[in-house]
Amino acid sequence: MKEEREGRAASVKRRHIKKSQIQEFLCVVPAVTLVILTIYYPLADLVRISFTDWNLLNKNWNYVGLKNWEWFVHNAAGNYFFQDMWVTLKYTMMSLMVSLGLGMLLALLMNRISGGFSVMRALIFLPKYMAMSTGGVLFVWIFNKEFGILNIIIEKLGGSPVGWLTTAGTALISVVILTGWHGLGYNMMIYLSAMMGIPSTYYEAASLDGAGRFQRFRYITLPLLSPTTLFLLVTHFIGSMKIYNAVDVLTGGGPYRSTEVIVYLIYRLAFTDYRVDRAAVVSIIFFLFLLIVTLLTMRWSENKVHYEA
Amino acid sequence: MSKKKYRDTGAEYTSRKPILYTKKDKTLYVLQTAGAILVTLIMVFPVYWMIVTSFKSGNVLLTKELNLLPDALNLDNYIEACTRVPLFRYILNTIAVTVIIMILKLTTGVLAAYGFARGRFWGRDVLFYVILGAMMVPHQVIFVPVYVLCSKLGWVDTFAGLVLPSAVAPHFIFMLRQSFKSVDDSYVEAGKIDGLGTLGAIIRIMVPMCKATLITASLNTFITSWNSYFWPKIITQSDKIRVISVGLVHLRESWNGVAMWQHTNVTMAGCVITMIPAVILFFVFQKYMLTGYSKMAMK
Repeated sequence: MKEEREGRAASVKRRHIKKSQIQEFLCVVPAVTLVILTIYYPLADLVRISFTDWNLLNKNWNYVGLKNWEWFVHNAAGNYFFQDMWVTLKYTMMSLMVSLGLGMLLALLMNRISGGFSVMRALIFLPKYMAMSTGGVLFVWIFNKEFGILNIIIEKLGGSPVGWLTTAGTALISVVILTGWHGLGYNMMIYLSAMMGIPSTYYEAASLDGAGRFQRFRYITLPLLSPTTLFLLVTHFIGSMKIYNAVDVLTGGGPYRSTEVIVYLIYRLAFTDYRVDRAAVVSIIFFLFLLIVTLLTMRWSENKVHYEA
Repeated sequence: MSKKKYRDTGAEYTSRKPILYTKKDKTLYVLQTAGAILVTLIMVFPVYWMIVTSFKSGNVLLTKELNLLPDALNLDNYIEACTRVPLFRYILNTIAVTVIIMILKLTTGVLAAYGFARGRFWGRDVLFYVILGAMMVPHQVIFVPVYVLCSKLGWVDTFAGLVLPSAVAPHFIFMLRQSFKSVDDSYVEAGKIDGLGTLGAIIRIMVPMCKATLITASLNTFITSWNSYFWPKIITQSDKIRVISVGLVHLRESWNGVAMWQHTNVTMAGCVITMIPAVILFFVFQKYMLTGYSKMAMK
């Protein structure tokens, strides 16, 4: 009698678990379906398109084997891929220096507890909430060669006006200024919250041992910030490689393709030249590049000891 | 010694009064404050300049003089910005798209996060790796085939097409799952004994207990989709569907040549209008937003 009752209870329990398992599975179904539909399927389609001669406007297309890949390899110099990759890398390096270097300096400067500093931190953070396109429209005006406020100030200070967006040498720097201004508050906040996590006893101990301000920064703050720096380095590198919005609004890739970044190239190939097939090839190469960088940094950051002095 | 919290990051610090202020400390404080004010002014100046320009009249706009104050304190430029292009239409479109995206992302995200955090079904880990792997595929790489997909479905220049790539966000699921995992099992068990189903457990237990993460994540979703430009630019063609970030560039480019510069005051008025919702949200929910960012970096 007793055994029977226990057996029934167990089977009820089992059925209950089974039911909740099905429900839990159903919970993940919409997300997984959408991820497959909007991310994995397009990725596979990208590979397919790269083997066709489709040009977006035309309904008919054929498989042409490796023709587009041959185009890519043979015209490596002429198809702007390497030139645009170089522009993108240049931008990324400059942007990393600005966002990490200035971000840390600003965090040091703003690291005080008072209402005034709190307000100033919020104000510095504000640009992050402006759309990049709005920022771009604003900075096109600021960078204007004749009437832009930046050149007016430069002239008042006795300099000569700079063609910020019209000279190949300064156009990319202008893009860095815009994106740097946009993201600086974010970097500052990340560094600040990491700095606040450093126990004050470390500084007290160092002071007792006679360490000066700079030494305390060099031997306590800087090493203890290295996980944060690594985090920002990785996320900013990937993020900066994908830049498009700022370039599109500010320079449109010009002058003389001096600011044509890789995503801009893909966009131009697909929607200006209507060569979707070639755009697919460039997309795949770019994706592989990003994937390798991501995997390498993941492996590297796992092995890295953060607290080296 | 007393534990206090930083107002804007939530990080704890120990307040301690220095034993005595030396003259050097005081000088340093003055210097630091001066430096901080200078940097803040430089950072805020572009926004100030945007607002000032939007209140200037056309005839003082293109000048070599340094004119830091507005001269036309009226809404003429704002009215022209709204009539030149259907700016309100753009704003309504943006609100609609943003709301739909938030609902979709939250529903799929919360459900999936629960399934991955609490589920015991076969194949859970494999499916989770599917989500994790998707985090490595940026939108900027697959926008061409996504566009092709949309055109196959007839979704080019429709709300559906605008929303599709943002309907699900792998990193959002990942973040929520981490947060759901931190909720102790016993709460869910207790709820189940009291007769809660799976949905009940999510709505009554998980969502309230992870409120802070959810608010931060939703606010960031709101801001991101309000400000998104890349995909809307590709998929939208007509005014009836255009969103504000693209509409703003459209407003600027509705003039040609010199006229474009002569109407910068109108463009700037458009910029101010575009920026207002995000700024209001920022000041209202500042605490959540900044804490969210610092938490993200800690992980």
